[in-house]
Amino acid sequence: MDALFLIGPLAIAGISAVLAAVISIVDLIVNNYGECRIDVNNGKRELEVTGGAPLLSTLAENGIYLPSACGGRGSCGVCKVKLLSDAGPILPTELPYLSDQERADGVRLSCQLKVKSDLKIEIPEELFAIQQFDGVVESIRDMTHDIKEVRIRLVGPQEISFKAGQYAQLVSRPYGNVKTAAQRAYSMSSVPSDRRHVEFYIRLVPGGVLTTWVFEELEENEPIRLVAPIGEFHMRGTDACKICVAGGSGMAPLKSIVLDMYEKGLTDKQVWYFFGARTRKDLFYVDELQEVEKKWPNFHFVTALSEPQPEDDWKGEVGLITDVLDRYLKEKVGQDLPKEGYLCGSPGMIDACVRVMQNNGIKEDKIYYDKFA
Amino acid sequence: MKMSPELKQAQENMAPGVITAEGFLGTDRRPLVDIIEADEEKMRLFEIGFEEAHEKMAYLLKEGRRGLGDPITVDDTWIVRTDEARGFLPCPFEDGVFRKVTATVTRRETDSEITFSELSLHLLEKHHFLQGTGSSFRIEPELLKETLRL
Amino acid sequence: MSPNIHPVVLLFASIFTSNILLANFLGMCSFISISKDNKSSNGLGLAVTLVLTVTSAVNWVILEYVLIPLDIVYLRYIIFIIVIAAVVQVLEMIIERISTPLYMNLGIFLPLITVNCAILGISLFIEIRRYNLVQSVVYGFGSGVGWWLAIVALAAIRTRTDKAPVPAGMKGPGITLVTIGLMAMAFIGFSGMLSVQ
Repeated sequence: MDALFLIGPLAIAGISAVLAAVISIVDLIVNNYGECRIDVNNGKRELEVTGGAPLLSTLAENGIYLPSACGGRGSCGVCKVKLLSDAGPILPTELPYLSDQERADGVRLSCQLKVKSDLKIEIPEELFAIQQFDGVVESIRDMTHDIKEVRIRLVGPQEISFKAGQYAQLVSRPYGNVKTAAQRAYSMSSVPSDRRHVEFYIRLVPGGVLTTWVFEELEENEPIRLVAPIGEFHMRGTDACKICVAGGSGMAPLKSIVLDMYEKGLTDKQVWYFFGARTRKDLFYVDELQEVEKKWPNFHFVTALSEPQPEDDWKGEVGLITDVLDRYLKEKVGQDLPKEGYLCGSPGMIDACVRVMQNNGIKEDKIYYDKFA
Repeated sequence: MKMSPELKQAQENMAPGVITAEGFLGTDRRPLVDIIEADEEKMRLFEIGFEEAHEKMAYLLKEGRRGLGDPITVDDTWIVRTDEARGFLPCPFEDGVFRKVTATVTRRETDSEITFSELSLHLLEKHHFLQGTGSSFRIEPELLKETLRL
Repeated sequence: MSPNIHPVVLLFASIFTSNILLANFLGMCSFISISKDNKSSNGLGLAVTLVLTVTSAVNWVILEYVLIPLDIVYLRYIIFIIVIAAVVQVLEMIIERISTPLYMNLGIFLPLITVNCAILGISLFIEIRRYNLVQSVVYGFGSGVGWWLAIVALAAIRTRTDKAPVPAGMKGPGITLVTIGLMAMAFIGFSGMLSVQ
């Protein structure tokens, strides 16, 4: 075989090798953003980070958790951050989620903004309190046919402080066909005084990533990770009469709030809690709350079934929770008291209850509900 | 057929566990672009327009909301149950976020039933995507035509 | 031997009289699709010019000092394409770093410059016409500028035709191709004025 035959392939290989080396060198130079400094809230925190990654994940790696509903994919618009320095023009992937006012104010999507130079940013103060926790599942109990109570003992950090009514983002793990982790928000049903534990009521959503994981995969004594505390849903300290409405897993934050108020001795306040469901088997935690009702004269617990079955032998209120609420507001709750509304449930239920409350004289800015839905 | 990076990304987003537990492709092994093409052909065969189907389904979903999670009768012809869970679902094509609203529509005379969500409606209207065979949210054109009386 | 053409003459020839797009019809696909947006057209024109200048120089050097001495000129197709792909890759990284919005606006068309037949065409023309190094670089740069000029001109024309009452069947690619044809006919007026070989 003629050695000259090999010159062709060798020449191609040689040239390709040289070009590959050039590409690698350029990559190293161009994509190396070096060390960047991020100033958060005018000096409240200063971070030294390696540039190149999106702001959202860079902040998370440094213990600052911005909320995100889509995990940094650029499809939810929740991870907004206010930029006080210049970081280049707004990317086409950010435009659909920013209003004109936000663009003028320098608001950006932190999952799309890459850290390429020093930055000055501003984030809401509450976000500093959010931490990542590793815990162990202490118990999983069935409350109804589609709601489980999950109780977690915190391991690292060991204690949490939060306001009753706030929520946490639970992190699932890959299993079976599911190859990625996911994060979803759930209100905490445990009382803040129990600093070593957090508890959730989780309702199975058909096709839901996290609820399916909890119902099919998660077992007691397994580790679990969460990010908490998040949210602005909590009891306001005014003297107004508190009208609370929830259904299904919406019980969680209200259970935390009611028990917290009782523990702290805030029993001079009038609290009405309306809990709606379809049939008896959708109710849970009723006995415990009726016990509280006995000990706390100003606390009224009203359960209503919209379609009680004959075997339920139901003696309580019947009808849609919005109708029961309307009736009570007109007939049973003191007319002269100022009132506040606290709602937790599906957006449809919340909209309907807001209308009923407004019709009964409760102002819109005095009606509170978890907006993360 | 070669798929653009956007379609490839959309197909990756449709895998189980990325957006929903089951994913959007069911047991279908075909590339996304083939699934869409085949379904467009099927809709043509059954003479159903994507816009007219979307309009009808959106109307039924809206009417079903009045039941606040319980079934109600709409136009004396359908029983609709619209349910809502908290949170958002991003579209796998990365062009929007949708509430987790699901409607189950049953036609009274024939008992034929379809299930769809706000997201699957958007996928039908904007992307002509009816989901892979075997997916529990797949919209089968024949069943669609019968249930909605198109 | 290399033809006796002054580089300045070659520059004007490659931009106007032998415009790679309008006289040779090379480099059409991104020409038609990106010309619907003025900013991206400008960006792409710049990118193509850079790629053409660099690849003309590099390919000439490889042709003269590797392919011809080793008598493997028949490998020029493979080698030229490999060089073009590498240069485009490097350019992509640089553009992403310097201007992320431009990078996103160009989208798939930035890596598609690799298979833009104008790029390979220029390198092959250089080989056929036996240009020397200066002529090659000037020709590459000039062709890039000519491509840039043509796409910016078409983008400007399209902002008008997009608003004009075009019959439904002709909208989009239809009227665009007719426009390109008319532009080419206008440039035919230059033919023969300056020679490129």
